[in-house]
Amino acid sequence: MSGAFESGARKGEVATGTTIMAVAFEGGVVLGADSRVSTGTYIANRVSDKVAALHDSIYMCRSGSAADTQAISDYVRYFLASHATEINRPPTVKTAATLARKLCYENKDALMAGVIVGGYDPIEGGSVYVIPLGGTLMKMPFAIGGSGSTYIYGAVDANYKPNMTKEECQEFVKKSIAHAMARDGSSGGIIRLVTVDATGTTRDYIPGDQLPYGP
Amino acid sequence: MSILQYNGGAIIAMTGKDCVAIASDTRLGLQQQTVACDFQKGFKMNDKLYMGVTGLATDVMTLSQLLKFRMNLYKLREDREMKPAVFSALLTSILYEKRFGPYFTEPVVAGLDENNQPFLSAMDLIGAPVSTSDFVVAGTCTPNLYGMCETMYRPDMSPDELFETISQCLLASCDRDALSGWGAVVTVITPEGVTTRKLKGRMD
Repeated sequence: MSGAFESGARKGEVATGTTIMAVAFEGGVVLGADSRVSTGTYIANRVSDKVAALHDSIYMCRSGSAADTQAISDYVRYFLASHATEINRPPTVKTAATLARKLCYENKDALMAGVIVGGYDPIEGGSVYVIPLGGTLMKMPFAIGGSGSTYIYGAVDANYKPNMTKEECQEFVKKSIAHAMARDGSSGGIIRLVTVDATGTTRDYIPGDQLPYGP
Repeated sequence: MSILQYNGGAIIAMTGKDCVAIASDTRLGLQQQTVACDFQKGFKMNDKLYMGVTGLATDVMTLSQLLKFRMNLYKLREDREMKPAVFSALLTSILYEKRFGPYFTEPVVAGLDENNQPFLSAMDLIGAPVSTSDFVVAGTCTPNLYGMCETMYRPDMSPDELFETISQCLLASCDRDALSGWGAVVTVITPEGVTTRKLKGRMD
């Protein structure tokens, strides 16, 4: 996944060296992210929001270049809104993910963006789609991304269980991101949690002094 | 990335009324990855003299050991303690000896001289010294540290006020640097003695 120091970053470019995560459960999805945005080693924003709303029940976690991922989420939000009007019902998460993938793949030379699209629709229930750097689209039960994710591959593989409840998913996301924030210099700040299900969306945040893990 | 930014770190030394304080973070990293949060960067040279070293971790360790050795040798030969200004001059000399293959460090010296007056100095990696009466800073977030110290410093602080001020300056500066933080240690040196405290800060 991308980090602030991979070739491709322009000098002075703002990067969301990041930890992002999404886990699907029966009736919805839990998305989480840290809040650190860095320009080189200076922390430009320590309370940023990396979980962007694409539609009422579809969200996208952003990692990589802040500008690139903001542009992608703005385009997808716009396309989804038109599409929802045209078909006269809420769009599917698959559609949102496919739109994001088209943008990422067809502009792969110009972009540095790794995103996770997660949400709820009545057809599939909760689903998570991950789109890493080249523009591959993969539907997965859960996904992690960003520079901090490299530190928690083992931890998430050990702690993930299928068919978790909503609360178990939230604890899983919080704990995993806290672990990544402790080790990755490009991740930190607060944890932003977004839970999407049939009844709607709840946004939550965990302040830096209440992280479930810290040395 | 510069070699001085490979491991990360932040140090402040500040004067008060008849006291000095030196504060450092305790992170050891390999570029973005954090490897340890208990890495010592402030070293006691004698009861009234501390040295803080930031920069490449291997040189931090080597330089502090080398200076301790030279101080011990001086004490044995001269049968007296080394004054802070003399120590600072020794340090600049040692660094300049390696002018074309330097130690990648930015040391900071804080102590009380023979009249218990505060002494501060800092230097670059090849030993160019600067001695100030208020504060000196070093590390990967010096812009942040300068901003905080300029704003919050006032002359003639008591040891408790000095501790509070230097701690807040260090913590706030490290919160905006991806390579510094993960714990901090503050040492306050007064004619009566030395107090060392660990700070509770963000561990991200």
